[in-house]
Amino acid sequence: MQKHNAPDNRSPHPRRSKWWYFKRLVLAMSAIIVLWGVWIDYTIRQDFEALQWALPARLYARPVELYVGATISQDELSSTLQRLGYRQSNAVSGPGEYQLTSSRIRLWTRGFDFWDGEEPSLYLNVEFDDNRIRNLWGDQNTGDLALVRLEPVEIAQINPDTGEDRLPTTLSDVPQSLTDAIIAVEDQRFYSHFGVDPVGIARAMVANIKAGGIVQGGSTLTQQLIKNLYLDRRQTLGRKIEEAVMAILLELHFSKEDILSAYLNEIFLGQQGNRAIHGFALASEYYFSRPLKELTLSELAMLAGLPRGASYYNPLRYPERATARRDVVLQRMQSQGYISAQEQAQAQSASLRLASRTRIQNARYPAFMTLVREDLARDYDSEALRTEGLRIFTTLDLRVQDTVDEKLEAAVKSVERAAASGDDGQLEAAVVITDAISGEVRAIAGGREPGFSGFNRALNANRQIGSLVKPAVYLAALETGDYSLASVLSDSPITMSLPGDQEWSPQNYDNKLFGDVYLFDALERSMNLATVNLGMEVGVDKVAQMLNRLGVDKDIPLYPSLLLGAIDLTPLEVAQIYQSLASNGFRSPLRAVEAVTTGQGARLERYGIATEQVADSESMYLLEYAMQGVFRRGTAETMASRLGPHFPLAGKTGTTNDLRDSWFAGYGDDLVGVVWLGYDDNRDTGLTGASGALRVWAELMDSLSINPRADFEPAGIQWRKVSIDAVTQGRQRNCSHTLTLPFASNTLADNTVDCEDDSLFRNIIDRVRGLGR
Amino acid sequence: MMRVAILLTLSMLSACATYSGGRGIPAPVESRDNSTDVPAPSLPSAQPSGSTISAPIQRQELPDSSVEQGVGSFVTPAPREEPATASSTLLQGVDSAIAQGDLERAAALCERALRISPRDALLWYRLASVRAQQGRPTEARGFAQRALSYAGTDQTLTTQIQSLLRSL
Repeated sequence: MQKHNAPDNRSPHPRRSKWWYFKRLVLAMSAIIVLWGVWIDYTIRQDFEALQWALPARLYARPVELYVGATISQDELSSTLQRLGYRQSNAVSGPGEYQLTSSRIRLWTRGFDFWDGEEPSLYLNVEFDDNRIRNLWGDQNTGDLALVRLEPVEIAQINPDTGEDRLPTTLSDVPQSLTDAIIAVEDQRFYSHFGVDPVGIARAMVANIKAGGIVQGGSTLTQQLIKNLYLDRRQTLGRKIEEAVMAILLELHFSKEDILSAYLNEIFLGQQGNRAIHGFALASEYYFSRPLKELTLSELAMLAGLPRGASYYNPLRYPERATARRDVVLQRMQSQGYISAQEQAQAQSASLRLASRTRIQNARYPAFMTLVREDLARDYDSEALRTEGLRIFTTLDLRVQDTVDEKLEAAVKSVERAAASGDDGQLEAAVVITDAISGEVRAIAGGREPGFSGFNRALNANRQIGSLVKPAVYLAALETGDYSLASVLSDSPITMSLPGDQEWSPQNYDNKLFGDVYLFDALERSMNLATVNLGMEVGVDKVAQMLNRLGVDKDIPLYPSLLLGAIDLTPLEVAQIYQSLASNGFRSPLRAVEAVTTGQGARLERYGIATEQVADSESMYLLEYAMQGVFRRGTAETMASRLGPHFPLAGKTGTTNDLRDSWFAGYGDDLVGVVWLGYDDNRDTGLTGASGALRVWAELMDSLSINPRADFEPAGIQWRKVSIDAVTQGRQRNCSHTLTLPFASNTLADNTVDCEDDSLFRNIIDRVRGLGR
Repeated sequence: MMRVAILLTLSMLSACATYSGGRGIPAPVESRDNSTDVPAPSLPSAQPSGSTISAPIQRQELPDSSVEQGVGSFVTPAPREEPATASSTLLQGVDSAIAQGDLERAAALCERALRISPRDALLWYRLASVRAQQGRPTEARGFAQRALSYAGTDQTLTTQIQSLLRSL
């Protein structure tokens, strides 16, 4: 500028020679260049020394554990191995391979750095017996194996804002063939140049001029690394110069190994939706579902061809192009002496074994992920989750979740009433399945469609729970010690005055009146009037307290209608209540996350089992009798033949006013399942708990081979005969037909129904009392 | 000359612009050493000797058939095979974790064993003891009570659990 303006400036200063200006300019420019150089040098060193990528958090499903007696079929194990990218072969020769025979699977695990310790890589044989493991052994050195844990399936990532994903790897973990291939095809003088390769540039220029276009780049690996690091793909001359200067400076300060290692991790190698695949280790997982060290020469060569154009040579999309590119890489390797002609020919003839589409597309469990994120949000901000490369071990059980995803929609469709479903919206569903003992959440469905990612009804739909509340009423009653299973309740009309001159006259589902009934029978057949009568005697506050103890973590309004389930809860909250029942009165808070570690495996946080006794064992045992009775004699009896092989099971149906909600919550020994069906706009579903949710529950639990309830009879329980008739005071005791019920030690049957003491004396007393009335 | 000057100035500016924002804040990945981590559980290859696991709780036969007059039974399921070797392997791991002072890992191994044998009173008791050792009495109490509820007729274990409960 100065130079141009100078002649026009009528400056008072003495006229200066052009040479003087030129010297000044050169001086100024040199200063600028030096400063620029210093600045670049500084930033490059800063950036490179602290080269740390924003790494996504990785989430893992619960790992499959193998031991004698474990419930897993051969098919299930083989599909798990496929998901883990294991390669089926005829002879297992290394980690990540398996072999299938008629009743056995032979495999070599990869080992994994778990949050609670390292699982070694092992060779093992698994022998099956229906859907259980019959035998488990290794080789001659290891003999029988007690317990082997497979690597966990990665189910999701929480990606950084940049969308970049990578698996940082050290140079020593990268197969030599890969670095050979990259150097051969991208930068053959890598180890001798100083960051820029004039020979390479000249050669590229010649090649480009010959071809009349750009067919070859002269960029060294160092230059490519710079270009990738600073995210600028503009190809201006200034940019090129800057890149070259930076490359030279980088080489001045850092070793070839440092640079190569950064290159292997940094380079862009593919795009999956919003997720950018960076680095060869992740590319290996992405394209081949296997770690780098398991790849063949052919596969490594294919990866080495990708930096030139990751989308153009995408093996998943353009296998022919990728293969042709691989062959170029192999040819270069051979011509530069990295491999023999024979190795080249062998690798070129190898067919592609790419990751399957399903594997790439799966790994999305949105409903479960919402819960995981809610759990994590307590301890981690979203920035940490997106950048720190955390490993998150979840409680998701892929066997359970996949079964739910596979079966739910058809099961819902099969119970859906054509008349009830209109144009606006379909019958919706929510499912929560947890471990009965530990409270670990195994699977969640937030809607009827598999993988549904919209409104998560399992976590967010607050619906009246209807008769699902009743176990809390009966448990509260049993716990007082004033009631036994043989207490006689009156299922008769009742009218209550409510605050504000209102009256409430509850009714039974089909307006039946059952009269005098046993307590266990009233629960099994879900009688509303008997329940309200009982609940009013016990006290609504006691029932609300019981709900709180079982796991409802909110204030419960004390209206009598609570006794019939006029309380809004989500399926997840219901699952907590039923988990407490399933573990015999020990509440264990539901959890979706088990542990969090750093990317290097150091334990950061652990969310272990916790448990608190919320009801005494004897009362729980009595309640269990009736909850199992629901399936044997009560509202769920319709499914007795379907679920018979899994009996005993326990559970409860729930139906709300105008058939808005159809619920079933039930449990075996291993799993608790809650199913809700309803419309988002509260329409009539035409379904009771038994005709809707129960059927869906049965379908899911049968598919999951739910385990029968184990007996847990506490020491104080006594089994006693009572009259088959529920008789109140003043009526004749009838011991000609009896049934045997469990009783708590301090609360035996009333005399009116007790048939244990069937002595002549007792009979005479009965007669006399009968006469006296 | 002029052009080169402008070019250089511009490239410097662009360089500044690029580097200041750069690649965003470097992720604060912790490079803490793994001193909290203990070596991998050594999975014994041979059958564990002297299994410390208690026998599965014997289920008492109910009096009568507990059923008359068409009222269904409340019977117990057939006892299933107890994978004692898996649990006892883990219990050995619990011992060594305690010996190494990594109580959290000991707890984790108890829990892993519980996933395999959920109603094993001994496992619940061990978990309770670990939590007690960690100075977490509330949790220990929960586990101990649960152990008690599964201990059945095992008097020795029951006595042990009760004494743990008293000490909390």
